Amino acid sequence: MHIPDGILSAQVCAAGYAVTGLATWYSLRQINRRPDPTAEIPKASLLTAAFFVASSIYIPVPPASVHLILNGLLGVVLGYFAFPAILIGLFFQALVIGHGGLTTLGVNAAMMGIPALLAYHMFQTRHTVGQLLKEPARTGVFAFLGGALGLGIAALIFLALIILNIPAQLDAGAEQTAVLALSIGHVPLAIIEGVFTAMLVLFLRRAKPELLEG
Amino acid sequence: MKFKFALAWALGAASLGGPVLAHGVVLEHRQLSSVEVAAQFETGEPMANAQVLVYAPDNPSEPWQQGNTDDQGRFSFVPDTTLVGNWEVMVRQAGHGAIATIPIGAATGGEATNLALEAEAEPSPESLISPSTTLSPVQRGITIGSVIWGFIGTALFFARGKR
Repeated sequence: MHIPDGILSAQVCAAGYAVTGLATWYSLRQINRRPDPTAEIPKASLLTAAFFVASSIYIPVPPASVHLILNGLLGVVLGYFAFPAILIGLFFQALVIGHGGLTTLGVNAAMMGIPALLAYHMFQTRHTVGQLLKEPARTGVFAFLGGALGLGIAALIFLALIILNIPAQLDAGAEQTAVLALSIGHVPLAIIEGVFTAMLVLFLRRAKPELLEG
Repeated sequence: MKFKFALAWALGAASLGGPVLAHGVVLEHRQLSSVEVAAQFETGEPMANAQVLVYAPDNPSEPWQQGNTDDQGRFSFVPDTTLVGNWEVMVRQAGHGAIATIPIGAATGGEATNLALEAEAEPSPESLISPSTTLSPVQRGITIGSVIWGFIGTALFFARGKR
């Protein structure tokens, strides 16, 4: 779902960098406000590695195939660390495995990072909205929602970006159909990532609950 | 006399030649050199029915030809060999795509047929997908390994606790 170089206009790429710059600044400021800002770095670096590798795991969804993104999972587990983690992961993906591009790094980071922050807030609402459910069902359900939502919103942003930026010479109808099909392909993936997030979070809750306090 | 008649008949028959007429079918052929592009996703899956735009070197803003790839992600076109330069082929589908630059004709400016042959002789197995990676698989593996180790090392460094 990464947007490669040469698909978007220069203005859109610049706007992407601007949004990513703002979001990175905001995330780092939130991290700095913590009593111990470096405490979460081991968790963040390990999940950055997982994010970097995840995009090479393909899942066949007819007629095409989609790959894992894990941005919702990063948001749920890392909180504000998710944005820099995704930015760094995407940078290395573009550089090493040619996924995405350097001109579109800003757009891609905003497309995947901002839904990750939304997923984090979604997961945090388990303390307020989720009071009706008992533990561990509450943690599981909200982790699923966070993981699925993170990817779902990213897919919607992708859909909007591509449809609004179809070059004039292309057959817009055919391209729209193709983008729509690809986006629908991400619905099963959102469920898979939601389940995966819930499993990981429930495991962390049992094994090392302090990791979820962030 | 008889010989002369035979010669005249043969000449007449020969002058009737040209295209072979058999129940009104005209079969002509000429050799063209075409360019074939094959588009596939990184997984190796062909990019079936993707849109293809071909741009001639003299006009990079208007597509010279438009079309779609077949089920195997293939598309071929016959470039106008008088237009010497870099032809661009853009393949797009669902926000995925790439642009290939295909040089047609050499700078020598020879005959068109020669140029066509040169273009054909070059198999140019250039990949349309992920033009940004030019590393060999071994280099790639080492790079990926060191990147992952960089993350794990960072994690271990910060996880070692306060002394």
